[in-house]
Amino acid sequence: MTKVNELLEQFHKVAVSPEEQLKSYLSQGRKVVACVPVYTPEELIHSMNLVPFGAWGAEIEVREAKKYFPAFICSILQTTLEMGITGKYDGISAIVIPSLCDSLKCLGENWKYGVPNIPFIPMTYPQNRNNDNGRAFTKAGYLRVIDDLEKITGKKFSEAELAKSNKVYNLHNQAMRRLSDVLVEYPWISASQRNDIFKSAYYMTKEEHTTLVNQLMDLLLEMPKETSNMKKIITTGIIADSRDLLTIIGENDMQIVGDDIAHESRQYRTDVNESKDALEGLADKFSRMDNCSVLYDVDKKRGDYIAEMAKRTGADGVVVVMTKFCDPEEFDYPIMKKKFDAAGIPSVLIEVDMQMNNYEQARTALQTFKDMLN
Amino acid sequence: MSEEVIKKPKYVEDPNSAKSKLNKITSDHYSNLWMAKEKGEMIGWCASNFPQEIFETLGLTVCYPENQAAAIAARGAGEKMCLISEGDGYSNDICAYARVSLAYAKIKDAPEQNMPQPDYLLCCNNICNTMIKWYENLSVELNIPLVLIDIPFNPDYNPSKAEVEYVKNQFLEAIKQLEKITGKTWSDEKFKEVMEISNRTSRAWLKATNFTKNTPSPLNGFDLLNHMAVAVCARGKIEAAEAFELLAEEYEKAVQEGTSTFRAEEKHRLMFEGIACWPHLRVTATELKSRGINMVATIYADAFGFIYDDLDGLIEAYCNVPNAMNLEHARDKRVAIAKNTKAEALLVHTNRSCKLWSGFMYEMSRQIGEACEIPVASFDGDQADPRNFSEAQYATRVQALTEIMESNKGGK
Amino acid sequence: MKESYFLGIDIGSTTSKCILLNSQREIIGSSLVSAGTGTTGPQKAYEDILEKANLTAGDISFTVATGYGRIMFTEANDEMSELSCHAKGVHHIFPDVHTIIDIGGQDAKVISINDAGKVINFVMNDKCAAGTGRFLDVMATILQININDLEIHAREAVRPAKISSTCTVFAESEVISQLSSGENVNNIVAGICESVAGRVASLAKRVGIKEEICMSGGVAKNGGVRDAMSKSLGAKLQYSPKAQYMGALGAALFAYDKLNI
Repeated sequence: MTKVNELLEQFHKVAVSPEEQLKSYLSQGRKVVACVPVYTPEELIHSMNLVPFGAWGAEIEVREAKKYFPAFICSILQTTLEMGITGKYDGISAIVIPSLCDSLKCLGENWKYGVPNIPFIPMTYPQNRNNDNGRAFTKAGYLRVIDDLEKITGKKFSEAELAKSNKVYNLHNQAMRRLSDVLVEYPWISASQRNDIFKSAYYMTKEEHTTLVNQLMDLLLEMPKETSNMKKIITTGIIADSRDLLTIIGENDMQIVGDDIAHESRQYRTDVNESKDALEGLADKFSRMDNCSVLYDVDKKRGDYIAEMAKRTGADGVVVVMTKFCDPEEFDYPIMKKKFDAAGIPSVLIEVDMQMNNYEQARTALQTFKDMLN
Repeated sequence: MSEEVIKKPKYVEDPNSAKSKLNKITSDHYSNLWMAKEKGEMIGWCASNFPQEIFETLGLTVCYPENQAAAIAARGAGEKMCLISEGDGYSNDICAYARVSLAYAKIKDAPEQNMPQPDYLLCCNNICNTMIKWYENLSVELNIPLVLIDIPFNPDYNPSKAEVEYVKNQFLEAIKQLEKITGKTWSDEKFKEVMEISNRTSRAWLKATNFTKNTPSPLNGFDLLNHMAVAVCARGKIEAAEAFELLAEEYEKAVQEGTSTFRAEEKHRLMFEGIACWPHLRVTATELKSRGINMVATIYADAFGFIYDDLDGLIEAYCNVPNAMNLEHARDKRVAIAKNTKAEALLVHTNRSCKLWSGFMYEMSRQIGEACEIPVASFDGDQADPRNFSEAQYATRVQALTEIMESNKGGK
Repeated sequence: MKESYFLGIDIGSTTSKCILLNSQREIIGSSLVSAGTGTTGPQKAYEDILEKANLTAGDISFTVATGYGRIMFTEANDEMSELSCHAKGVHHIFPDVHTIIDIGGQDAKVISINDAGKVINFVMNDKCAAGTGRFLDVMATILQININDLEIHAREAVRPAKISSTCTVFAESEVISQLSSGENVNNIVAGICESVAGRVASLAKRVGIKEEICMSGGVAKNGGVRDAMSKSLGAKLQYSPKAQYMGALGAALFAYDKLNI
């Protein structure tokens, strides 16, 4: 038990102080590359002996970024730009920004002028992705990122190294998928602790993270499984890392038994097919990704996907964590809600942003939702 | 106050004028749709910047939800329609065109601007990714097929070879998909013809819009917002080419005769940035006119002028629409327009509906202001939701710009 | 046998309300103080109701707190969300009600309940204040009229003015420009009421309106908003003059249930 708590504490420390991790990598002489949501080809960066470092905003006040963004851009990108402008990313070699939503396109353009000391590397993905044409375009996008990284960092790319990194990332994906299922049996691990494990993955190399996650699971599996009276929920949205929100989930005796959060499990659903050439394989991976608001899906299967997840995990309800001003998620919501209602799965919408200092409305909504599930 | 001292000779409209012809093309566009629907033809709903050459060649009948939403908003029903979508769970933060359109797909009636329900959808995201989300939802709600040509935002100055290749392959694939959906067949010969007409229309449109460079301008820039509907919905039609050619001739004549459709003394020349604030069009236009400000420059006019020589050129043109360009390219285009038209100030519509257009506009407009040495002001508004605009805020900002323009002229 | 008492306290953003029940679930007292969470209001309302009933804290068998200040109120034995409490309170008074529209100072909520009075669905307003009591406060201040008189003005209106901004700051400027262009105050007030009603009505449509409909919360007292809401929804509304007490009543009923079920 002590060992489990030590591990949880370790994840927590990394999750809440990414700046320490950054300092530590930089002091070891490693070069670090910031990776902006929603999907960044971390494997490429990793394969060039660079440290990919997640940039998903932070709970800070937005001041400087207001010079660039109007108020109706989501707080994830507002605070990411704010951190860049205010020097929080100093020492980082470059930032990769994929243009999967309109606001991300704007972040890239603003970054060039707001944070001129950290070069912006664009990653352009296709939306008609699951065919040869789409895969070729993804590959061209990757080649461009590689080219920029080589120029900026002086590192060299090789297919052989990428094949190794693909393997590292596949192993990490598998560990994270398994983790989500294992945690269901150990309800005493809180929503905050679960998030610590997911969040810390962005600030550690994947080898380190996989090792820790596997250790945790091994220790847990030696312990007796527990059942509880907690209400089982699925979370869905872009990001759900607010300490306040997670605490409220815990206080209302809710256990997250699965998630469709972009910052969490959406990252880990698809593996690289290692039998393909490494770069082809990576492009092929993207082509098979799905069930996400920023990836074109004419069938809009996401609601069914979540309903299916709820059934599989025995969840009592779905908590939609809506990032304010996130167009793609706001468009998906009414369609998903219909699917949840049709499947008889209760759901609740909680609107969040990173500037929230008052979670009373979220508390009230979740408390009522709990009453509703009883 | 609004009655100006010097009255220009009044512009008289006759049925053979370009304006009448253009208006007729727009009204014919809608009546043809209903006729086609009655005949049992399939109707498509289409994104404004979807390569129209495809369906013109195939001989398909399509209409434009963006135009419809603008018309509904301009005629005062934006809020009513938005509330319907909001009642269905759509956030009031998403694009108001989409909210209007999703509401229309549900209730299927808007006296302000009706159009037939679609049998298929044509989407292109070179103006924004929001188009994809909007059309995905239409496709699911109406249970009809959707053809998407994905034209990504280009972070570099010009589209890469890989991008042109990617888009071209989709273009060819879209033809196949549409042949299957509608049963029509593609003809290379017809395609050539359509490309020719489209270029002719575009050239005439660009020529006509370029007359705002004259001082005074022979036209009120707001006229272009109306005529643009034709540039959007009838670019591949010979009548459109002819009407725009006539329009250019009229402007040429007006320059010689010293007349203008701007019915006030042109004291100041303004560049307007962004989609029109349709629900408050009259207020936004009158406020300018009453101060003798003519809108002589807007990127919007250029947005629908597609000039190219061959298929690759066509693809590049669609990759290079204003909202698919990086900041530097978008800025340079606007600086060129502002200089060409001798604009004396830049008024920016911070459009709540359009994250892409407004999301890096602060920086871009600063750079344009510096490059052209003109003052810049922005106001909050929306392309279709009347609730995001304040008349008082707008008036104050326009007044401030006017005062700067006046003092730049030595305190006239 | 000694009589048992059950107390519900609803601590909102601007008011504190208490309801006292006896062992027959009859309302035997109420109190209201116009000061909400973070003030001495809750304590005053609590003391006031005890004093009026001639009881001491020790006589109360169970106390449930609700509203924004529910967590901080230490005298309570338990706390419940105001949505559950409103549903419970309204169901007690109006058993046929299936939709509750509750507009408080900070929040607007629409609650859908089943025949047994259980919450089956609900929605709350987004971050914007345009559909809440706070919005009315701001507008009343600009117009320099007492918030309680809004209703009188609204009913005198001939042609409600159009106040459509979703942003409070913009709505403020809309009202000011209406005033300076000489628009009649009654028409402006009616326009403001319609604006709030319109915002909340579209929220209500999200959960689906099932009759009967009842308005609760402080804003329900305002007949202008009630009329406008009824118009927006095209349906009749139930309303109790005790609307403000529904949360406290529900809390008191929950307190009763805690010891009797």
